[in-house]
Amino acid sequence: MAEQHPLLEKFRDQIQRCSRCGFCQAHCPVFGGTKRPALNARGKMLLLKEVLEDHLELNEEMVESLFQCTTCASCATNCPSGVDVPAIIKAARKEMVGLGTCHPAFSGMNQVLDEHDNIYAEDEPEDFDRQRNQKAEVVYFMGCVGQYREEEASEAALDLLDHLKVDYTLIDEVCCSGVLEDVGFSIKPALAAKNIERILATGAETLVTGCPYCFRTFSKQEAYAPLREAGLTIVHLSQFLAGRDLGLSTDKRVTYHDPCDLGRHCGIYEEPRRTIKAVAPNFVELADHHQDALCCGAGGGVRGAYAKNSLAMARRRLAQVEDSGAQVLLTECNSCVHNLSNAKLRAQKFRVMTTPQFLMELIEKS
Amino acid sequence: MKPEIKDQLRAIVGEANFSDKLIDLVSYSSDASQHLHRPEAAVWATTAEQVQAIVRLANQEAFPVTVRGAGTGLSGLSVPAQGGLVLDLSRMDQILDISITDRAVVVQPGVIYADLDNALAPHGYFFPPDPGSSKVCTLGGNVATNAGGVKGAKYGTTRDYVLGLTVVLGDGSIMRTGNRAMKSVSGFDLVRLFVGSEGVLGIVTEIILKINPKPRATATTLAVFDDLEDAGRAVSGVMAGGVVPSVLEILGRETLKAINQNTELNLPEADAMLLAETDGYTQGEADYQMERVVEQFTAHHAREVKQAESAAQAAELWKARKSCVPVLARLRPSFILEDITVPISQVAPTLRGVQDIAARHQVQIATFGHAGDGNLHPQIIYDAADHDESERVEAAVHDLFQLAVDLGGTLTGEHGIGLSKAPYMEMEHDPAAMKLMRSIKRVCDPNNILNPGKMALDG
Repeated sequence: MAEQHPLLEKFRDQIQRCSRCGFCQAHCPVFGGTKRPALNARGKMLLLKEVLEDHLELNEEMVESLFQCTTCASCATNCPSGVDVPAIIKAARKEMVGLGTCHPAFSGMNQVLDEHDNIYAEDEPEDFDRQRNQKAEVVYFMGCVGQYREEEASEAALDLLDHLKVDYTLIDEVCCSGVLEDVGFSIKPALAAKNIERILATGAETLVTGCPYCFRTFSKQEAYAPLREAGLTIVHLSQFLAGRDLGLSTDKRVTYHDPCDLGRHCGIYEEPRRTIKAVAPNFVELADHHQDALCCGAGGGVRGAYAKNSLAMARRRLAQVEDSGAQVLLTECNSCVHNLSNAKLRAQKFRVMTTPQFLMELIEKS
Repeated sequence: MKPEIKDQLRAIVGEANFSDKLIDLVSYSSDASQHLHRPEAAVWATTAEQVQAIVRLANQEAFPVTVRGAGTGLSGLSVPAQGGLVLDLSRMDQILDISITDRAVVVQPGVIYADLDNALAPHGYFFPPDPGSSKVCTLGGNVATNAGGVKGAKYGTTRDYVLGLTVVLGDGSIMRTGNRAMKSVSGFDLVRLFVGSEGVLGIVTEIILKINPKPRATATTLAVFDDLEDAGRAVSGVMAGGVVPSVLEILGRETLKAINQNTELNLPEADAMLLAETDGYTQGEADYQMERVVEQFTAHHAREVKQAESAAQAAELWKARKSCVPVLARLRPSFILEDITVPISQVAPTLRGVQDIAARHQVQIATFGHAGDGNLHPQIIYDAADHDESERVEAAVHDLFQLAVDLGGTLTGEHGIGLSKAPYMEMEHDPAAMKLMRSIKRVCDPNNILNPGKMALDG
């Protein structure tokens, strides 16, 4: 048995510890959008318990449940028994991939990163007309979504750094490949090596990421330990900006969406709020916020693999924005902006943007 | 289940609301209890007419139907013990009407308790029962279990708020009973019969609930007792002292110890701790009641009485109570959470009795609970994989029920009978009552298709 599922076996105690109370349903985006207990953490733990007891096999039938999770970690936050569900889901996915079972969208992601330097298999990166691979105090790493899908958000982030006269450089960045760890595969050492080499070559003291997921990967993954060992300070842009007096002000009613990778996964809730509230005193919280924030539905490979449900999750979050009466929804994650913007209905009149985009607009107007 | 039946179910609810996929069947095999049994198919009904068609089909084809809300029940109520169909009502989640003038709301059964609470908050109203699972549980489940919570002593349980129901009976007929009127003595109180009926008599598809204006002020106090009997007498004293606290909770020594070992709360280690909250529409009103409560604490030799000076301090005190289940759940791999309930005068003897049972059977039982309404939660923590320990736990559970019944109480104050307590029904109910309950079951559900195997009604 132990040989059959070595990765899952490590979590046997935790899987058995799930008391099936169902509290993980509270803010689970997949459950909220579908009301299907099979897609909630409790349902997944029940399946894995039966797998460990040899009643079920980790086969194709399990894919729809175990691969349909945004790894937003709201279940773990709400779990009275302390079950680390996202870690278990990741282990289960790796186990399944090892057994030759995987959602095609996920194996596709892995394949793309075998053949390309970015998750979208794009050939022409936007150059943003900024210096690259130069000596500077700060390296700005925007991530694949910022580079290829939300270029305007990245442009605004760079404009803001220019405005603040930050001495920074871009690098010829490649995908951090951290997401592969979530979807059954592993970080590509070759990609990690390129990023590490190019970041360290700048002689920078600080690495600022535009993407919360890249931030997580650089801060926590073993493959990127050389960055930390080199004494580099790794921060997300929201942390880098927090506490700076921008001398801006607006009376717009503004709200904030906590990205899971920044909030629940890294505990960064207040830094973005500090920046936003200093500029927009008319700030309102969404119905679910901080550690209870609803996921936008994009994470864990779900946007690619289960697009319809991912959209439904984004719509639930957007309904909360509508209820808040906010004119602007800000967030710190390009991926959240991407999914939420795609899902926004024409009748929903509020705007969806990153904090740097919002700040740059105010700077340009002032 | 025959493929033709599945086709008919698909035709009733639509393809997107039917599943016989393995992942769904496994997820529907349990609730928050230890019971486990897979159904053969699952549907998400979205209208009363669909529920009716399903029940008619079940009668015709003789398959069991087990209704389910959020599946947070602790007694196996929604476990499909005999297979068949799970009928999930969580997609019927609309709040149909909020009428502040009538002080009533009309909801579908799949509405989540917290969602109703959020919808009522802007009006300054609330639906008081407040079960522990309020963030996830559904109102249909609250009705089916007659759910209670920490505010039972002052505000009662779900049954005190249900004014009317639409029910699909076991024979497939649709019954509307009750209305929005605040009073009614018209005919038998069928509403009350169906509240707490655990899905064995009918399937509730619409609920009219009474709502209350929400008190704006609260006062919170903690009291520590070196002697369990003193704490028990303090509970009786408070409840007889002329005011009714909105919350009066007790935490026993084992629970306090477990919380201190696993949190930074640094609670006093003593035989018992009582936590009280009073509420009112002005701070003066809440404070006046709390003064009466504190008098009783002091009169019954509380070692320490600590009043919260601010909302933040009160929140800190409630952290202790809220941490009970999680902290205890983490100590051992498995737990059983009971909800025996006794007359208020019997709280102290019950707590003592629980300790004796734990010692007698050599099992770990930590107790906390809603002392104000005599509803105690002995939480047995153990390892279900350990056969010998599981047997001792089973014996202890039996003795806990016997203790409650002997002291003039009941097997269950708020979780329900389901599968867990079915073997003990006759310990509490005399033959005449059992006979009547079984007769009612047969009248409402002549073919025994609704949630069979529960509540010891099949005999």
